[in-house]
Formats: sequence, C-alpha cells, structure tokens
Amino acid sequence: MTEAESDPVRERLEEFVGRPMGPPSVAPDPVNVPMIRHWVDALDDRNPVYLDEEAARNTRFGGLVAPPAMLQVWGMPRPKIEGIAERGGAPSDMRFENPISVLDEAGYVGTLATNSELEFVRYLRPGDRLTLSNEIESISNRKKTALGQGYFVTWVTTFRTTEGEVVGRQLFRILKFDPSTIDLSKLQVPR
Amino acid sequence: MTTTAPKPRSISVGDELPPFELNVTSTVIVAGAIASRDFMPAHHDPTFARAQGAPDVFMNILTTNGYVARYVTDWAGPEAMLTSIKIRLGAPAVPGKPLRFTGRVAGKREADGACALEIAVRAANDLGDHATGTVTLTLPLG
Repeated sequence: MTEAESDPVRERLEEFVGRPMGPPSVAPDPVNVPMIRHWVDALDDRNPVYLDEEAARNTRFGGLVAPPAMLQVWGMPRPKIEGIAERGGAPSDMRFENPISVLDEAGYVGTLATNSELEFVRYLRPGDRLTLSNEIESISNRKKTALGQGYFVTWVTTFRTTEGEVVGRQLFRILKFDPSTIDLSKLQVPR
Repeated sequence: MTTTAPKPRSISVGDELPPFELNVTSTVIVAGAIASRDFMPAHHDPTFARAQGAPDVFMNILTTNGYVARYVTDWAGPEAMLTSIKIRLGAPAVPGKPLRFTGRVAGKREADGACALEIAVRAANDLGDHATGTVTLTLPLG
C-alpha cells in the first residue's frame, strides 16, 4: 500500500492475486464450422481461410482455420437465460469466491472493461477442443477515476487444447467502481 | 475481402491502411453478440442498457475484437496470421453512430522467411475513441 491509510477492501482482495479464479473450464463445443459461419456472417468477414476449403488449402494454413478473434468465443459459457438481467448479465451464478463478488458486496457494483489483449500462439482448426484457466494477475489500489472510486482488476485466461497445448491467452482488465462516488460535473460520457 | 493484398516487401513503416466505416446498427450489435454467445442484456435490450447509464445497446468486446481483426486482414489478405490484438476500450459503439477504422504500419521486421508487422489501429465514433491499440501479424515472404 502506498497510501498511508489502510484499505480493508484492498486487503481482502490480496488473497486472490496470482491465484486461479475458479476451476478450469471446458469449452462447451469444439471449434466448429457452424459457429464459424455464424460469426463470419454476423461480422461480414469474407477472408476465405475461414470457410472456403479450397482457397484455405492454397494458403500457408493448408486448410480451414477459425477466425483468431473467436478465441474468446469458444470459451463463452452456456448461458442460463432465466434471471440473466437480475444477475447483471452474468451467464450463470458464480459458485466460487472471487474478487469481483467481493467488490460488488463492498459497493463497487459498476463494471467498465478497459483493456483486452489477445495473443494467438497458433490458429485454431475445426475439431480443436479447448480448456480455459483464469488467473488474477493484479488488483490495483483504490483509484480516483472519472467514474468515481474503484479498483482495476486484471486477469489472464490461458487457452489450451485438451492435450495441454497452449494455443492462446487473453489479458482482460476491468474497473470496478462505486457509482455513488461519481463526480457528475466531471463526467464526459453523453447521457 | 480485398483481392489486392500488399506484397510484404512493398510494405513500409508509416503506410496507412485504407479507412473503413462500419454502419453500426442494432442488428450489427445483436448479430455480433449472439454469434459470440454473449447474452448480456446490454448488448440486445435498450431498456437494460439505459438503466446501466448507456445511451443504447452497445457492442460487446468480442465483436469489437472481431471487427479490428477483420479490418486488418481485409488489408493484409488471407496469408496474414494475426499474433495479437491489444486494445484499450473507450467510448461505446452504439446504433446510429458509424465506427471509423483507421490504421497505420507502426513496425516491420523480417526474420525466418516471414515479415512481422505491427499495425496501430483506431476505431472511433462521434463519442470518441471506441478502441485503440495494436495488432501484430506475420506474412510469409514468399
């Protein structure tokens, strides 16, 4: 702590830093062409290496590959639609203690994503099956931000095949803020 | 999809990527959210989004990453292999406010028969910068 005053909320969060956030999870589906097609159409991405087998065979990839930005998609959990709004959009109840629920309980109920850093070790191919593990990389001290007081929480998701090969990573940073501490006179976000 | 992918040897630091404007509609936002299995109501339910302080439904991060990737590969062509997409997130992408993508070659080196590029990318609308960051990729020297 650089601040002279103690911060019991931050002290409670320390136990999470450098540790796994929940158990590893298995992607609901293997990398597959129907989900790739759905994505390619939704984003109107006409790169032929995703769906045109013959064109893909004649590239460095030698066959179909998944769009790299879909890495996070493969790990998205199956949602429980009933009650999703009441859970603030969480796809299901988090069954394990984590820093986000600690911050929610302490009044830092606002969430703003600030950074995403995807790294691709290799492109995925239809049939790849993935597992995900999350680790809290860092939690900042309490900061004054344009959205009031809050904490930056950073975690890293490592994507592996079920054979254990690391195929990608994602660093994700969010600000958990207390909306009651927002200084509205300084807020630039249009209403 | 461009049919005129640049030749790696002709790419120079400072080259600008052709700009791209995405007409952001509710359909674009919802299509991306559902294709990424993201059922967070802020990405399809305007009432929920406004209750959270947003002006309307807004694009999810997975879709933003997808468009950033597409913007770069539309220019670099099908031989491009992205190695990273690192973005800082800012103003929301909302219906009725087109997103303007711009990019510039910020770095280039050649090694092991491939050309490694660093592209500085920005996606902005009338509210400000939606996403700014760097995409890295390799192209075979061929």
